[in-house]
Amino acid sequence: MYKTRQHVIRCAAMLLLAAQVMTASAQLSLDSIQALDEVTITSRQPSLTMATSQTLQGEELQALSNTSVADALKYFAGVQIKDYGGLGGLKTVNVRSLGAQHVGIYVDGIRITNAQNGTVDLGKFSLSTMENVSLYNANKLDHCQSASEYASGATVYLRTRRPTKDSLSVQLRRASFTTYMAKANVQFERKGWSGFIDGEWTDSRGDYPFRYHSEYEDTVGHRANSDIRYGRIEGALFKGGFASHIYYYDSERGCPGGIVRRLSDKYVNVGREWDRDFFVQASYQAQFMHHHHVKVNAKYTNEYLRYCTDYPENHNTARVDNHYYQQDGYGALCYAYTPWSWLSLSASYDVRYSKLAADLKKFDDVFRLDQKQVVAAQANWQGLQVAASLLHQHYRDKTFAHVGAADPLDRWTPAISGAYTLGGLTFRTWYKKIFRAPTLNDLYYTQVGNRNLKPEYTKQFNLGLEYHLDTPHWNVSAQADAYQNKIENRIVCLPLKGTYTWTMMNYGYTFCRGLNATAQGRYHTDDWQFSLLTSLTWQRDVNRTDPDDEDTYDKPICYSPTLSSGVTAIVGWHNLQLSTAYLYVGERMWSYADPEDILKPYHNIDMKLTYSHLMGKTHWSLCLEVCDLLDEQYEHIPRYPMPGRNYKLTLSFGL
Amino acid sequence: MKKFILLLLCSIATSLHAQERIILLNEGNWQADNGKISYFEDGEIVSNQWFRDINKRKLGDTPNDIIQINSNLIAITVNWSNIIQFISPDGKRIAETEDVPNNRKLATDGRYVYVTSYGHECGTIHGYEMFTRGYVAKIDVQTFKVVATCEVGYEPEGIAYYNGHLFIANTGGYAFQEDHEYETTVSIIDAETMQLVRNVDTGQINLYGKLSQSGQYLCINSPGDYYDIPAATVIFDCEGALHGDDDCFVVLEYASTYNCTMLDGNFIAIGSRFSYYTNEYTFNYVVIDPHEVMLTDGGGGVDESLPGTMLEDLKALGMPYGVYVNPYTGYMYATDAGSFAAAGALVQWSPEGTFLGRHKVYINPAHFLALPPDGVDFAGIEQVTDKDKPTSTDEVYDLRGVRIAPAEGFYIQDGKKIYKH
Repeated sequence: MYKTRQHVIRCAAMLLLAAQVMTASAQLSLDSIQALDEVTITSRQPSLTMATSQTLQGEELQALSNTSVADALKYFAGVQIKDYGGLGGLKTVNVRSLGAQHVGIYVDGIRITNAQNGTVDLGKFSLSTMENVSLYNANKLDHCQSASEYASGATVYLRTRRPTKDSLSVQLRRASFTTYMAKANVQFERKGWSGFIDGEWTDSRGDYPFRYHSEYEDTVGHRANSDIRYGRIEGALFKGGFASHIYYYDSERGCPGGIVRRLSDKYVNVGREWDRDFFVQASYQAQFMHHHHVKVNAKYTNEYLRYCTDYPENHNTARVDNHYYQQDGYGALCYAYTPWSWLSLSASYDVRYSKLAADLKKFDDVFRLDQKQVVAAQANWQGLQVAASLLHQHYRDKTFAHVGAADPLDRWTPAISGAYTLGGLTFRTWYKKIFRAPTLNDLYYTQVGNRNLKPEYTKQFNLGLEYHLDTPHWNVSAQADAYQNKIENRIVCLPLKGTYTWTMMNYGYTFCRGLNATAQGRYHTDDWQFSLLTSLTWQRDVNRTDPDDEDTYDKPICYSPTLSSGVTAIVGWHNLQLSTAYLYVGERMWSYADPEDILKPYHNIDMKLTYSHLMGKTHWSLCLEVCDLLDEQYEHIPRYPMPGRNYKLTLSFGL
Repeated sequence: MKKFILLLLCSIATSLHAQERIILLNEGNWQADNGKISYFEDGEIVSNQWFRDINKRKLGDTPNDIIQINSNLIAITVNWSNIIQFISPDGKRIAETEDVPNNRKLATDGRYVYVTSYGHECGTIHGYEMFTRGYVAKIDVQTFKVVATCEVGYEPEGIAYYNGHLFIANTGGYAFQEDHEYETTVSIIDAETMQLVRNVDTGQINLYGKLSQSGQYLCINSPGDYYDIPAATVIFDCEGALHGDDDCFVVLEYASTYNCTMLDGNFIAIGSRFSYYTNEYTFNYVVIDPHEVMLTDGGGGVDESLPGTMLEDLKALGMPYGVYVNPYTGYMYATDAGSFAAAGALVQWSPEGTFLGRHKVYINPAHFLALPPDGVDFAGIEQVTDKDKPTSTDEVYDLRGVRIAPAEGFYIQDGKKIYKH
């Protein structure tokens, strides 16, 4: 890490000129001021080009029209977003068709977990405290990583911003569909300590209009029961190798359901959901005697979820009122030894203890002890880089539920990467085998769980190249990766033969081949700054489950587009900044039953215009966003319409 | 001349009588609004979106039951759309109502259609009515309005009409989520007054799924709770129940998840008994002779062999999802839901159990209705002549379920619709 920082400083020096040039215009923008420090990390360390990764940071991250992490990730190549629509709709990411549960989300290197169902709702995480958002296919390949960072098929890193000066900023927003947002951020820096407190409150009715128009219907309406109210407050404290973070999120939302044929608006979904998520985490890392590096992580998570349809006005569906409680304690110890500058060896031990409680019938508390160990080696010698790791995972469950606990799970999985860099060009290849353990829901959930489930394996193979060119005015990079994935023993919920019950089962084999490419260019002059970011995904992933089933075998996986692409252009001139993001997602089928069962391709254009002004020590800025400029009606899940064109007006003050 | 020959050929083609005519409801995926009707005629699927083709609109979400009421009218419960859709036998929509939300299964006497509902409210000609538990609604098919209701147990499912009475299997199916237990009763209602006559406690929980009727006997499935209580089948004697007999039912240790009445009056049942503790199943494919079962108190009357190759063919299905016997012709059918994301299949056998074909339909094909072959009168109506004239005047009812003296025309006797001329 020490070496890393030195390198960053060197890069910073190289870009100092460019940064200074930008300062004149950048200082006027509140967003840019916060982002300024991150502009330095535009060129990547050689060792990091070994991993396939994409990063959005600083101005570019802020320039995209986004309110949550999911909105930023959709611009990455190889990412598919599942979104049930609206501010409150569940948002998950799927990378290279591995499935959402194979994507690990990490805040400052510590994984966000959900022992219950294994997926993280990205709508709960704000970008305003983030310095950057990165997606790594397979491993990140730091010198000193915890074992759990090796334990997912793809990893998303959210890196919290470390303040470098005192500041206060306030944002107020009014957006379409009766949406109000207020946000405040306080940052400080004293004697090497730095930190922030960030709070947000949002209230949205979310009653956006939608239309289904086809040969068989012309349905127009407003989304009902799609409101959300949430508050989020978080803080962080840093000093040197110490980082800590505390987070609390509280929300209430309506669960709107699919748009189905109805004769009137008499019957609407009444289900509501409450979430309360809390975590506190800390990590400390230090280097001693030049060759030794130690990192310690600790985290406690407490999550509460309530789902309720038990209302007097609910006269026609089941009246449910369920509460789920999850707690999770986590600790990790990592040690890296660098005998020579070109070689690094590391080992890590992670332990996590989870508890799930719920007031479901025939259910009782479930406990899980999850231990992971990894040994890893990395070498970087004259442009040739090699990394290898071997991960061991052990899961043991305990439950008072009458079905009994699953057998302990004990598995070893490897990953290996290699790269060669010549000039600005890097060739790389990697292979990773990893599994996801069945979640507590998969195993124990009443009337669904199956404690005989086997882990779901993924095997990924990747070949890629990456190119960088940095000049004082220009900064260009491009990368392309071809990949092949296999997923075995998919964990899915299927009905049992000859009964009315559904249960979790290992069923399915997926074979996927694809190409991810990104290209980025940035150009600065005294008055102007331009950025162009592009991404392209071509993918053919097919179902290889049952060779005898001609309707499904070798047919594309549902919800997976063959082609998707994104282009983001940012233009800055003095106090003004205009960004335009274009996203295309090709046709996806959602069932094999009928060629008509497809989700139509869509084009999304988002635009954002920001005007910033500096008055004495006060910054203020006004930002107008238009999302889905073409007002395209599209959906990620059939019959869950996404909002069409909508507007956001944001006023910001900063000190 | 050529034109004339062509016309002649066309008229010959159209005058060829269709014998096998099956309407099949594909449930689709929940909340995806893709319930579809397949129409099958003489060995071929005519359309897998029959309702859309004819009416240029979608059927709705999760169709759950279908019944023919008279020669011009069919009712379909479209559960998650909260719609009861009325169509003509040629598929044209006639009317629809949303007065009975969370509608489940249907029965009819030819004049009224009776529908069970898991819901707690019902729009009637007297305004909205509220219920603590579930209810049965009586819909007048001349106005398509609910004229009367009767509260029964929680989450009432299967329903049959026999001898002026309705027999309703209560499930209590929301017991897993709600604050009540599974139901174990069959509710008996006087169809004319819509008053509860009594509840018969079968001792078996969760009387869920389609029930089949063969004269005075019902075949009712109990899936159990999938933990401690295994699945069972209740053979229920409506006649005995009406006489107040305590032993008007027999419990069999078989599952009848999917069941249907065969031409000879026996029930065919496919099911499995499953436990979450062991994650193990026992499948059964049986033919049940209800009369024999009642006589022997369950000691006999169950045959584990099926006609022809049907048993082997059924075992080969990926995911059996329905079974049906055409009451007019005896041809037998089953559906295979396959992988649930792909199209399901309709499988056909001759009355002797000879495999005839497998046809691609849509997602989750589940509920059947046979239309009468061309030239045959509507479903279930037997034509009798004077020599079959009922002897006892006590047991004859008009199509509304009102006791009458036997006369010319339509009436009901022994649970059968009869046309006397």
